[in-house]
Amino acid sequence: MGFSRYLLKRLVYAFIVVFVIMTFNFAIFRLMPGDATKMIIDPTFTPEAIAELRRQFGLDDPPLVQYFKYIGNLFKFDMGLSFSTRRPVVNELKERLPNTIVLFLTSFIFTTIIGISVGIYTASKRGTFGDNFVTGAGLFAYAVPAFWIQLLLLMLFGYYIPILPIHGTMSAPPPDGFFLQFLDRIHHLILPAGSNVLVAFGSWALYTRNTMLEALGQDYIVTARAKGLEENVVLRHHALRSVLPPIVTLIFGALPGMVSGAVITETIFSWHGVGKYLMDAVMMQDYPAAQGAFYLIALAVVICNLAADIVYGIVDPRIRVGEGGAK
Amino acid sequence: MALLEVRDLKMYYKTLRGYVKAVDSVSFDIEKGKALGIAGESGCGKTSMAVTILRLLPSNGKIHGGSVKLDGVDIVKLDDEEFRKSIRWKKISMVFQGAMNALNPVHRVGDQIVEAILAHEDVSHAEAVKRAEDLLDMVGINPKRFREYPHEFSGGMKQRVVIAMALACNPDLIIADEPTTALDVMVQSQVLKAMEDLRKRLDLSMMLITHDLSVIAQTCDDIAIMYAGKIVEYGNVIDIYDHPMHPYGMGLVNSFPNIKAERTRVRSLPGFPPNLLAPPEGCRFHPRCPLADDICMEEEPKLIEIGSNSHKVACHKVDMLERGVDIWAQ
Repeated sequence: MGFSRYLLKRLVYAFIVVFVIMTFNFAIFRLMPGDATKMIIDPTFTPEAIAELRRQFGLDDPPLVQYFKYIGNLFKFDMGLSFSTRRPVVNELKERLPNTIVLFLTSFIFTTIIGISVGIYTASKRGTFGDNFVTGAGLFAYAVPAFWIQLLLLMLFGYYIPILPIHGTMSAPPPDGFFLQFLDRIHHLILPAGSNVLVAFGSWALYTRNTMLEALGQDYIVTARAKGLEENVVLRHHALRSVLPPIVTLIFGALPGMVSGAVITETIFSWHGVGKYLMDAVMMQDYPAAQGAFYLIALAVVICNLAADIVYGIVDPRIRVGEGGAK
Repeated sequence: MALLEVRDLKMYYKTLRGYVKAVDSVSFDIEKGKALGIAGESGCGKTSMAVTILRLLPSNGKIHGGSVKLDGVDIVKLDDEEFRKSIRWKKISMVFQGAMNALNPVHRVGDQIVEAILAHEDVSHAEAVKRAEDLLDMVGINPKRFREYPHEFSGGMKQRVVIAMALACNPDLIIADEPTTALDVMVQSQVLKAMEDLRKRLDLSMMLITHDLSVIAQTCDDIAIMYAGKIVEYGNVIDIYDHPMHPYGMGLVNSFPNIKAERTRVRSLPGFPPNLLAPPEGCRFHPRCPLADDICMEEEPKLIEIGSNSHKVACHKVDMLERGVDIWAQ
């Protein structure tokens, strides 16, 4: 099986998963208790007006017709109008997506870099004070709930030492000039992204440390040392390189969790992103908005998984079977 | 002066229950172009000795004395950085039990050889690649397979790659630790033959560690038999095969069936190797030795030369053995 066939198979699976998600997405919000229309329909409306509104939002169609309309529209990136704002959901999501991506990527990049570096460091200094301290700290951060640490940080840096903004993606009104705006955004980013890194780096560090320790006990590490390579080269080129496949799997496997974690982080820090949008939409029974946000997040999860499969094939030569076929 | 002179080498592992004396006052020489076989049961300190010479010790293993002179220079005294640069692979390389895990699964086999060359010699990458290809060719592997990964090779081929890698920097001495143990008999003989040819051609010295006496008989000039961290018998291969003088050496040779002799029961050695945390007092072999008496339990025998050909034995009862008594007969 060549790499392209492997890739094709993954793509087909991903497509099927997306379709199933779309279907669930449709069903879940309609099975939730409560009536969506009450958010926009005033009790004083005449029955005719109510019927007209239901017709406008397509709620008077039988469920199956609603379903097919919904699927068809999704392919056209038409997610309907938000019940609460009466604006197209797509536009609202487009507005918020960059914010979420910025927060997500910043957290992700710093978490992996810090986590993996700490893991390598502790593995190479096994049994020392530094190793024990970092391992303990990582375990603690991993064990406590993320929102609790986030609330504490909010209290610490927003109230006791008020040096960081406690909500939003930028100041209102924003400062003048591109550079100042940029700095302002980073200022707002520190707390949410930093708290994400703080709660997540531990598991990466511990996982990297354990796989590194296992790799360092392998015969080929002794070979590498015997060859007279520098310890640094042995660590990075031989040990780390050989544990990269499982670490990459972990990285991409953790992405979905980080995406869903974004809902909580964004809500706590009032981050103007997709996660908070989803939260608000669910609270207000805004079907189209919630469906849209939910769909986007699920799509992100599927893409992350697909990326994991592809990257795994690249980093592990045993999966990327060569020209000669399986041997 | 011999190429490698090991004197009174001691290496202990520190454990929670005390020191494990894995290598205890070991002395031997390897002449230029000669091969020394180290034989003994599992756990007698053979591999520990190899890793002591290359200083590949785990963090709890420490050299507690003795010297290892290579061309007259005591390499135990070199600092780590100098040792890494000037000794490892450059002067002394090692053939590991490569059929299993000695090659890194995520790097191309050729690159693993190139890496060894580049770590020690100031040559261009292209030149190192050329040399690695020549080395592969020399051990009978098509240089076209340079860019393949270890999992695409058979066990015997991987072992030959490991040998090619050991030759990469033209070392003076190769330490081969159970180089053929994981291979089947056919492949084993191919690999051994390849190793012997190369060794003769390049005039290399070798230290061959194995528990398989037939492998030593086939390839080595001298043999050292280790028991519980010590050398108990040391000398020319033929001498020791024909006239083993230490009760343990005798037992080892006896436990190997002779294909040309009359069919007899293969005789195994009774008992187990001792715990190296608390080795027996006196002669370490005395609990398993049929000749043991009071002196064996109290006094440690020295490795002394007997007869000719520098055949050395560490046994109090050596005169009895010289008279040819079959001590292992019931």
